[in-house]
Amino acid sequence: MGGCACSQPGVPPALENVEVVANDRVASGVGLVVLHAPRTAATVRPGQFVHLRISRESAALLRRPFSVHRVRGERIEILYQVLGTGTRLLAERGAGEEMDLIGPLGHGWEIPPGITHALLVAGGLGAAPLGMLAEELAARGVAVTVALGAPTEERLIARDLFETVARRFETATDDGSCGVEGFVTGVCESLLADEALDLVYTCGPEQMQRIVAAQAAEAGVSCQVSLERLMACGIGACLSCVVRTNEGQKRACVDGPVFDAATLLWDRSEIL
Amino acid sequence: MREGVTHTVDMSVKLGNLILRSPVLTASGTFASGREFADFVDLERLGGLVTKGVSLEPWEGNPAPRIAETPSGMLNSIGLQNPGVEAFCKKDLAWLAGVDVPVIVNVSGHTVAEYVGVIERLESEPRVDGYEVNISCPNVDSGGMAFGTACVPAGEVTRACRAATRRPLIVKLSPNVTDVAEIARAVAGAGADAISLINTLLGMAIDTGTFRPRLARVVGGLSGPAIKPVALRMVWQVAHAVDVPVIGMGGIMDAEDAAEFMLAGASAISIGTANFVDPTTSMRVSDGLAEFCRARGIRRVSELTGALRT
Repeated sequence: MGGCACSQPGVPPALENVEVVANDRVASGVGLVVLHAPRTAATVRPGQFVHLRISRESAALLRRPFSVHRVRGERIEILYQVLGTGTRLLAERGAGEEMDLIGPLGHGWEIPPGITHALLVAGGLGAAPLGMLAEELAARGVAVTVALGAPTEERLIARDLFETVARRFETATDDGSCGVEGFVTGVCESLLADEALDLVYTCGPEQMQRIVAAQAAEAGVSCQVSLERLMACGIGACLSCVVRTNEGQKRACVDGPVFDAATLLWDRSEIL
Repeated sequence: MREGVTHTVDMSVKLGNLILRSPVLTASGTFASGREFADFVDLERLGGLVTKGVSLEPWEGNPAPRIAETPSGMLNSIGLQNPGVEAFCKKDLAWLAGVDVPVIVNVSGHTVAEYVGVIERLESEPRVDGYEVNISCPNVDSGGMAFGTACVPAGEVTRACRAATRRPLIVKLSPNVTDVAEIARAVAGAGADAISLINTLLGMAIDTGTFRPRLARVVGGLSGPAIKPVALRMVWQVAHAVDVPVIGMGGIMDAEDAAEFMLAGASAISIGTANFVDPTTSMRVSDGLAEFCRARGIRRVSELTGALRT
């Protein structure tokens, strides 16, 4: 064979049969599924994703990409919002049921050597790919500040994880039920002014990510964003998940999903 | 192994003057140039690798969203995004030099001259074993399907490509026509060595929440199991209309599906959308077809071709 097809470091992806360990509702419309996936658990890096085949029925044909939120032993945890056919089917899957995934996939978060303080900005389900990153940064001795936003307090996702590892943890809710009333971008702006930060990592609605990226650029801090795109194959072949960058069109599945914000051409990007 | 049916099955098939070690090919646009699948598939067990469409100059493709899942299928409007024939030679063909599999390059163009230009550039490349002329892509504004939906332009582009090469020439047909048999006769008469079908069916999906089309380009090509009965019918019609071999495709997910296409008259089959769902599909179908034959005492897979009892 011609060897590893990927240009990024890390182990090549594989097809892995996985079993549902638990699948619970964690907020309205949001679930957390725990999968027994030893190969992926041992090899996935923060910001990477798995391409999950939720149903064997051809009615919902395509796999769905999910970032790995956390790893615990041989298990991976996936946060999902029930939005369409695939996630509705996922919410119905119970402990003991089997699925398969392709993973680990994608180019995850970069942790440059020498950074001492990182800001993580999450909007809603954007908290999902930032969980593993927060733990990894803390384990490496990097100070972590987290800004987490949601419509209401109940929808502040992965709050426990972030509260445990973050040195500073701020929240924003649309209704003011927890933290600042308003958008998380407001919190981000004041943290960029208050704290001496080396890097901003962000994930959430694309409009929020654009604002965070602009705020970071204004403050002279580099910023990485994890983008969400519709994708079919997940391995770089179908060209569904294109992202426009100043280095040409990239594929979210293999060149991303994490990109350096400075390379992104937002104006014609897809908004989900 | 079942007792008494342990013979090995000859999986080789003939496609004009190409002898393939297996009837299982990859459908253009679903397999890139194979590299992305190397972690999942033994490429050297494929009958042939049909590449993503290659054009003379780089093509940007269409705006996103480019795909939408629909019942038992998907719509795409990728728009033949590709880096152009020069980059294809430098990167894809260079990588394929290390893989022992017949390479069939899918050729795309806006004009007859562009199709011919791609072939002329590739004629000097020893790694190319044949061409599939794409006159059926529904996702580009000029060229593509415009050539494949009427007999005269279909014959014209086939004749021009034929004149440019002595290598095996396959022409890929569109299902978006009234009478696919008449297009098949036109391209066979113009010198095609084989015919592949079907390309995607033009379709559309709407998000009722936003009142917007689910594809940025509004319409796109439908593929997957949803189109299999249509594909099968067209393969059957074309196999009866022409003497050249037919490569069947459209929603093949497993060996049973593949067998259906061969029974309808296909000499070989292609795996398309199923590569996205399960990247190992081509291997599963290869093994499954051999087992299908073994279980029925069929010694050569080619015996399935056109064996439909009516």
